[in-house]
Amino acid sequence: MSASPPALELVGVAKSFGAIPVVRGVDLQIPAGERHAVIGPNGAGKSTLFNLVSGLFPLSGGDIRLRGRSIAGLPPHRINRSGLARSFQITNIFHRLSVFENLRIGVMARHGLRFGLFRPVARMRQVNEEARAILALVRLEARAEDLAGDLTYSEQRALEIGMTLTTGADVILLDEPTAGMSREETDRAVELIREVTAGKTLLMVEHDMSVVFSLCDRVSVLVYGEILATDTPERISANRAVQEAYLGEEPDESSGRDFGQDSGGEAAP
Amino acid sequence: MSPPVSPSVRTPLLLALVLALLIGLPPFLDLGLQNALVNVLIAGLFALAFNLLVGQAGLLSFGHAAYFGIGAFATLHLMRAVEDGLAFPTPLLPLAGAAAGLAVGAVAGFFATLRSGVYFALVTLAIAELFHSLAPHWEGLFGGEAGLSSMRMPWGGLIFGSTLEVYYLALGWVTLSVWLLWAYTRTPFGRLTLALRDNEQRVRFLGYDAHATKVIVFAISAMFSGVAGALQAISNETANYSLFSAHVSAGVVLNTFVGGSTVFFGPALGAAAFTLFDHLVSDLTRSWQLYQGLIFVLVMLFAPGGIGGIVQHHLRHRRQLDWSRLAGPYALAGLGGALVAAGMVFMIESLSVLFGEGYAVLRRDAGGGHPPFEAFGAQWDPAGPLTWGLPLALFLAGLFLIARARRDIAALWESVRSAPAGRPAGRGPEASARSAPSGSPS
Amino acid sequence: MEFAIISALNGVIYGLLLFMVSAGLTLIFGMMGVLNFAHASFYMLGAYVAYTLSSLVGFWAGLLVAPLVVGLVGLLVERYLLRRIHAFGHAHELLLTFGLALIFEELVKLFYGDFPVNYQMPDNLRFAAFTVFGTDYPFYRLFIGGVALAMFLVLYLLLSRTRIGIVVRAAERLPSMAEALGHNIPLVFMSVFGAGAALAGLGGAVAGAFFPTNPNMALELGVIVFVVVVVGGLGSLKGSLVASLLIGLFSSFAVGIDWSLASLFDLVGLGPWARSLGGLMTMTVSSISGTIPFVLMLVVLLVRPAGLMGERS
Repeated sequence: MSASPPALELVGVAKSFGAIPVVRGVDLQIPAGERHAVIGPNGAGKSTLFNLVSGLFPLSGGDIRLRGRSIAGLPPHRINRSGLARSFQITNIFHRLSVFENLRIGVMARHGLRFGLFRPVARMRQVNEEARAILALVRLEARAEDLAGDLTYSEQRALEIGMTLTTGADVILLDEPTAGMSREETDRAVELIREVTAGKTLLMVEHDMSVVFSLCDRVSVLVYGEILATDTPERISANRAVQEAYLGEEPDESSGRDFGQDSGGEAAP
Repeated sequence: MSPPVSPSVRTPLLLALVLALLIGLPPFLDLGLQNALVNVLIAGLFALAFNLLVGQAGLLSFGHAAYFGIGAFATLHLMRAVEDGLAFPTPLLPLAGAAAGLAVGAVAGFFATLRSGVYFALVTLAIAELFHSLAPHWEGLFGGEAGLSSMRMPWGGLIFGSTLEVYYLALGWVTLSVWLLWAYTRTPFGRLTLALRDNEQRVRFLGYDAHATKVIVFAISAMFSGVAGALQAISNETANYSLFSAHVSAGVVLNTFVGGSTVFFGPALGAAAFTLFDHLVSDLTRSWQLYQGLIFVLVMLFAPGGIGGIVQHHLRHRRQLDWSRLAGPYALAGLGGALVAAGMVFMIESLSVLFGEGYAVLRRDAGGGHPPFEAFGAQWDPAGPLTWGLPLALFLAGLFLIARARRDIAALWESVRSAPAGRPAGRGPEASARSAPSGSPS
Repeated sequence: MEFAIISALNGVIYGLLLFMVSAGLTLIFGMMGVLNFAHASFYMLGAYVAYTLSSLVGFWAGLLVAPLVVGLVGLLVERYLLRRIHAFGHAHELLLTFGLALIFEELVKLFYGDFPVNYQMPDNLRFAAFTVFGTDYPFYRLFIGGVALAMFLVLYLLLSRTRIGIVVRAAERLPSMAEALGHNIPLVFMSVFGAGAALAGLGGAVAGAFFPTNPNMALELGVIVFVVVVVGGLGSLKGSLVASLLIGLFSSFAVGIDWSLASLFDLVGLGPWARSLGGLMTMTVSSISGTIPFVLMLVVLLVRPAGLMGERS
């Protein structure tokens, strides 16, 4: 692990909104190829952490390194071009464009067609083929020409993941990819994520422990802006401090699929 | 493939026909109509350039007169240089407008696109007002209050003295510009422009520089607006600060949205309709601008997609439409619309006469009282029940017919929408949430 | 000195007039997010309605009734037009009010013609309030300022001391929350829109008797009012007041200032060179006094879009 720098490294990452610290000194190393989940109660700062890593918010302190090189302070599009792509918790697609077009926009970015003004995109074979390939990967071929806004919710989530893949980044951040899905849809989404992130580094926020279990190599627990523990899913779910942090401090977590409730039934080995 | 640019197969044919008419017809028209057609071409190009920013990038500008005006002034400066002996081919004069529009648009766009939404609109408005208020005091650049004038110089055997020559020059430039604007929508950057309108944040997270993208779209839109301004300068051989006025910015907004900003050719349609009507009726009525404002507000209220949106909506569903059943209600709605329009026009024209200066003179000559007035080839008593009852009756009868037709039309469209689509349903913005208001001429 | 005092007085009063019109605009934007292009039209309507009424029922009655008529027009516009297209988003609302502004202007032209109408203050108000340096200062100017001040006071008390004010302010901050608490937000919106229109109408009714009443008055004042609300901060009443006074004072002083950019270069001895360039360099402040507010507006929009006192950006 010391031979090459970790794919993604957070060093003392901190963020305050006004006087309120939301993320307070997070250290995290994710080696290349690892699938890593961040879990934690609502309001723990998970989404903020994602927004910091992807460049939506500026850091208040610390550093973020992608393959050893600092990306702190770069605007989102520069971070993306350095090889880190993210999805959004709230579906964030181009509603009035076709599904195919949604994916092709992302593929264009990878091909450096940022200001391509002199050739119709329909004649760019490479771009269209790659967009078709990702379309097939996320199993949306049948809806290629439909407006993205007309897709069902789980189709939109699949498109969301597909768009994250288009730019060819090898570090992928997924923000609650299965939120709001039924059990079956979740199972299918897990398969999809496993398949499309093969060989890539994955960092995801996830509430559903069964998803974390079946997908991830390691888990970090974020509570009140700090990392309480980082370990394999099995050992995390056996960790008493983690259980107390969940059950003791967030008694109102009522969603049946949250860690606090699920850990007794599904997560215990 | 996606919203504003979804031609049916027949579109190229239709366009070829329109172009053939534009080429073949004018020599047989009278001078007034030739002039009106030059204005149609200019307004059409201006609206399409404006819509690149508004319809495709989703950036609502209230100050596009700035770039139109800049194009005109730049061209006049070049024309004056040509007059003084510079060897520059007259047909290429609009290049000056394009260059000036591009340059000023890039600078203005850089600042304007730092803001979004209402704030973007306000920056564009302030920039246009800046030019409007500065130009009359800037003798060297804008010729002060009088503005700049020049003459078209002959070139290569062409005199450029007749309106017809100017018309063909304009037609050439407008055709070229429109083709470029159309081609633009097919390029990667054109697709990116649409994505930007839908979701700027995602564009950034896909690795694009959203600000740089917007600046370029703004500059290209300003460049083609500059070409339109240049053609206006060549046609009129003069320009003054009033080109920067809010009325010019307002005009292009009206044309664009009445024509339909979600359809590529919609804005040109709106510009053509308004400009031709302006030519045809401006001698007949003082209230043309009022009618324009009313039409615009009615479109905003009842058909936000504009004329183009309605046409596109019908084309998209043409296979599912049962015209034998729709024809009746549509004819009824059309009749109702005509009655409403007749009532309104009658009322407005009567008021216009009664409150006009001519009638004041008539009253003085008649020694007070309210003498009858003349409108639509008949005499009307200002206090007569028929004078106000007739338009009111027309108006109400029209509303009644529309209301009836609307019910039937809504029901028929409902069945269309629930029926399985012959081809992929969602091809345009109207296909989703907004289908109801733009689909039925309510 | 004489110029300074008279200009200061004129500037403050013009500023107060600007405030009467911009108060409603900024309140409406703050609450509804609608930038109402037709707002200055309400000012113009106020002047024309008051003109019509003054010839029928007298000046004072006209002054009182005109704002009510205009307020009613505002209510109807909100209830039957704006609300209808609210779902289509702010851009559509903006465009609709833009179209309405055109219609109001053309309607005024239809009924009253293209030229100014003869709307005059009554003779018993036509006297000098005082005399400075041998110049009579018209009482009516002070009257305009007084009406505006009284209006500001009433508005301020209404918003800060009454239950209505609390609901309005709650609706401005969090419309959905206020609605959940049982307040009728559509009604609040409609009322604020109507009240804003009435204020602008009052401004028109008062000022129209002193300044020219013509069909261009809406457009001319409208752009300046936009400058005021932007500089003051969209949505901020106090910001509007400060910006109104600022613009008012500037407009009245600028007329007498013959500095140019070249005068700046004089300070470092480059004046003659700057003058030789001509163009922008030699334009005096007085000749481009109409331009400077827009420069100010641009600078504020680009540097501090929240304005002098706005909270949101």
